[in-house]
Amino acid sequence: MVAAGVGTACDGGLQPEPICARTLVGLCGTVRFRGAVPANTENVFIATYLTFPQTCTDLINNRRPIIPGSVPFTDSIAAYSVALSPGAYHWVLAVWKKPGTLTLTPADTQYLRVAGYYRSPTDATKPGIVTVPGGAAAGDIDFVVNFDSLRPATDFVTCTAQ
Amino acid sequence: MHRAIATLLLVFAPFPAAAQGVVRGTVRDKDGAPISGASIAIPGTTLSTRTDLQGLFRIVLVPAGLVRVHAAALAYGPIDTAVALTGGDSTTVDFTLSAAPLALPPVDVVSDRVPHFGDRPATSVAQVTERDLDRRAVNTVEEAIDHVAGLQMVNGQTNVRGSTGYVQGLNSRVLMTVDGVPMNQGDRGGINWDLLAVDEIESLEILKGAGSSVYGSAAFGGVINVTTRDVPAGLHTRLRVNGGVYGDPPHPIWRFRDNPGLLGGADFSASYGNDVAGGRISVGDRHSDGYRQQDQDDHLHFAGRARWEHANTRVDVSGAWAVDHYDVPLSWCSRGKCDDKGQIFQPFMVDTTERGARTDSRKGYLAARVRTTVSPQFAWTARASWLRTHFADVRRSATEFGVGDRFGAAGQIEAHPESTRTVIVGAEATYSDVTSDIFGTHSQSEFAAYGQSEQRMGAVRVSGGARLDFLAVDGGSLTAVVSPRIGATLNGEEEGGGTWRASIGRGFRSPTMAERFVHTTALGFDVVPNPTLRPETAWSFEIGHTSAPLLRFMRLDAALFWTEARDLIEPQVLRIPPDTVKIQLQNVVRARIAGLDASVIAAPIPDRLIATLGYTYLDTRRRLAGDSTEGPLAFRPRHLLTLGADYRMGDLGVGADFRFASRPERIELEGFVDPRRVPVKVLDLRAAWKNGPVELRVLAANVLNYMYNLVPETLAPVRTVTLTVVWSH
Repeated sequence: MVAAGVGTACDGGLQPEPICARTLVGLCGTVRFRGAVPANTENVFIATYLTFPQTCTDLINNRRPIIPGSVPFTDSIAAYSVALSPGAYHWVLAVWKKPGTLTLTPADTQYLRVAGYYRSPTDATKPGIVTVPGGAAAGDIDFVVNFDSLRPATDFVTCTAQ
Repeated sequence: MHRAIATLLLVFAPFPAAAQGVVRGTVRDKDGAPISGASIAIPGTTLSTRTDLQGLFRIVLVPAGLVRVHAAALAYGPIDTAVALTGGDSTTVDFTLSAAPLALPPVDVVSDRVPHFGDRPATSVAQVTERDLDRRAVNTVEEAIDHVAGLQMVNGQTNVRGSTGYVQGLNSRVLMTVDGVPMNQGDRGGINWDLLAVDEIESLEILKGAGSSVYGSAAFGGVINVTTRDVPAGLHTRLRVNGGVYGDPPHPIWRFRDNPGLLGGADFSASYGNDVAGGRISVGDRHSDGYRQQDQDDHLHFAGRARWEHANTRVDVSGAWAVDHYDVPLSWCSRGKCDDKGQIFQPFMVDTTERGARTDSRKGYLAARVRTTVSPQFAWTARASWLRTHFADVRRSATEFGVGDRFGAAGQIEAHPESTRTVIVGAEATYSDVTSDIFGTHSQSEFAAYGQSEQRMGAVRVSGGARLDFLAVDGGSLTAVVSPRIGATLNGEEEGGGTWRASIGRGFRSPTMAERFVHTTALGFDVVPNPTLRPETAWSFEIGHTSAPLLRFMRLDAALFWTEARDLIEPQVLRIPPDTVKIQLQNVVRARIAGLDASVIAAPIPDRLIATLGYTYLDTRRRLAGDSTEGPLAFRPRHLLTLGADYRMGDLGVGADFRFASRPERIELEGFVDPRRVPVKVLDLRAAWKNGPVELRVLAANVLNYMYNLVPETLAPVRTVTLTVVWSH
């Protein structure tokens, strides 16, 4: 029985998972921070969209993951990773958040700003498309967050509430 | 009609004093050592008792004549003997029981509500005896029952055959009773496992499957009955001291402190008793540094018990009070929420936003029970109880508090109108109230009446009965719930065929006041009350078999079970147009829980080696209202496996336990919490040495330091090595 226990328990269990772990299915990379961190900064997190959102409702309902993980923003650079289903993601962005309770509705946009996004390697004015392969991760998805240029959602989508 | 009246008169008529006597004696093993806790009964009557620490017993009101006396104890072969008793006299019967590890253990406590003839009931029962508790060297009641086949503790919530799942401690679909007194919290319905010190406990019996036909609400999925130690004759003291150390994280990158965490505690009890009265007081203290960041726990408890016996009446009064101050590691640290050293998560640390979270908790109970044996055919029992719980959750954002009471009163009559028939009828009243800033101020009243009967017909025993419960919240209208149950057993032991059992019954659980009225914040969303919650109901069916000894050294017990439940209460995310999201508990689910529960005990080297195996297969299905798609219930592993082995060499014993639970297919609120979860694979090793009044026990729990979690973002205990010293006098 001891042998059976040792044999089974030595395999598996929770393991450390570094950013861009071999087991990650999703995307990973680094975020470089520029500008002065606003005093009312609560969080910076990474969000993704399979298709570019057209409305504020899309912005909330189509976000992957629904509750994104945060990124430490006190250093000049931070590594991040996001677990995602395989697919082509048309918008990978960093979202800045000020204090306030999120409700998973368009009203959330009053607390959120677009802080930066991954850009197309061929045309830096456009968002880059990232393909997450099946069973693996898309790496080196690096981009810049500029705290001096936080933009409201209405710069990108149509919103009735902000 | 005339026959019924005559039977009633016969039952209530006092038994002629001249035709009664006393049977007393001892129960010992072959080496002459006393066997404590052995069951002694006069079959077919209300007369039964258990032996004390010296193996002594005494039964009064025994009818004169040739009397059959039955003695049984766990791991010993039962004995029936007949003694001649003269009215007004006493007779001494000394039993010598032979070790028989495969013998079916006697079932006593469940019989408090379930009529029986000293035989096992028609539903599955698992037992944890004093010997198991000692052997496992456990420090809490939770640890004691976590090895029972078909039972899994999920962060303090009890699952019997997958009954409860996990809902943040807001309910329990398993009822706990202490010496027959219901002990689920008045406000949240959960179980205060830290109210009782493990040293106070003599045994636990787990009744699997719906028990509402006799126990009412909360016994939806099963009943755990705790029997506390009786007060023996003479002066006795007992000191138990333990200390231990938590293992470090297995991966250096998860290290979070420079020195290992420690734990330790002490319990002391003293008792004195004689044939008429006795009393015991006990006190205990415990401290744990915890195995994670922000995981300290301080516990202090007092307990007392008194008994008084006169002629045919026994009065028991018991109570306990416990104070806990413990840190609350609400959820493990996710990326960026602590010094994560570049990891996606750090299970040993908490989010910095949750630093300082703690809970101060006080709880206690007072219970009294009177039992009078009017005659060998008739006995009545009355009891009253008060359970009080108080908690204050201190969080960075807010402080929440709750004070709950549960007052209970009950009366029960046990009758044996014929030697082949038993009847139990009873009534209960319960009043619960809560005052809290998250539950509000509310009350709930419950009234119930129940009846059960069992008839023996040769090798077959048939039992049946029903319970009617009335529930009222805040003095409003009554909701009535009827819970019938029938069962049958076929005893083929004498023909070498083992025993068969089958039962079908209805279970229900009334929503707790916490479920109805909770108003708080979780995961950043408002949790809103739902006063219109309805009781959950279920039909449970079971058929089981206990084999006769196989190959002369092993015995198999297996049961197929099937539960069809309606109106299960689960948390739901509400999207309320135009712009609101809330969490609310709702009756949304139809569910099925079916499976197989099997256990094997083997004694290949009698008196030395005993091995056990328990396996439960669970197949769960849930369907939302208005949705044709099905999925598994949350927090229900499909496979549960327990293995155990004990080897004894004189004063020294060694043992091992292994627990496996497969990865739950579904968790609640997936998408809102970290979905990481892995199978449970835990190996415990232990050793014990006893010499005279001193016992030493060593337990290495989770010796492989396997990292796992039972609920999201909450690391389960790591390797913990404890040494326990017990001195009994």
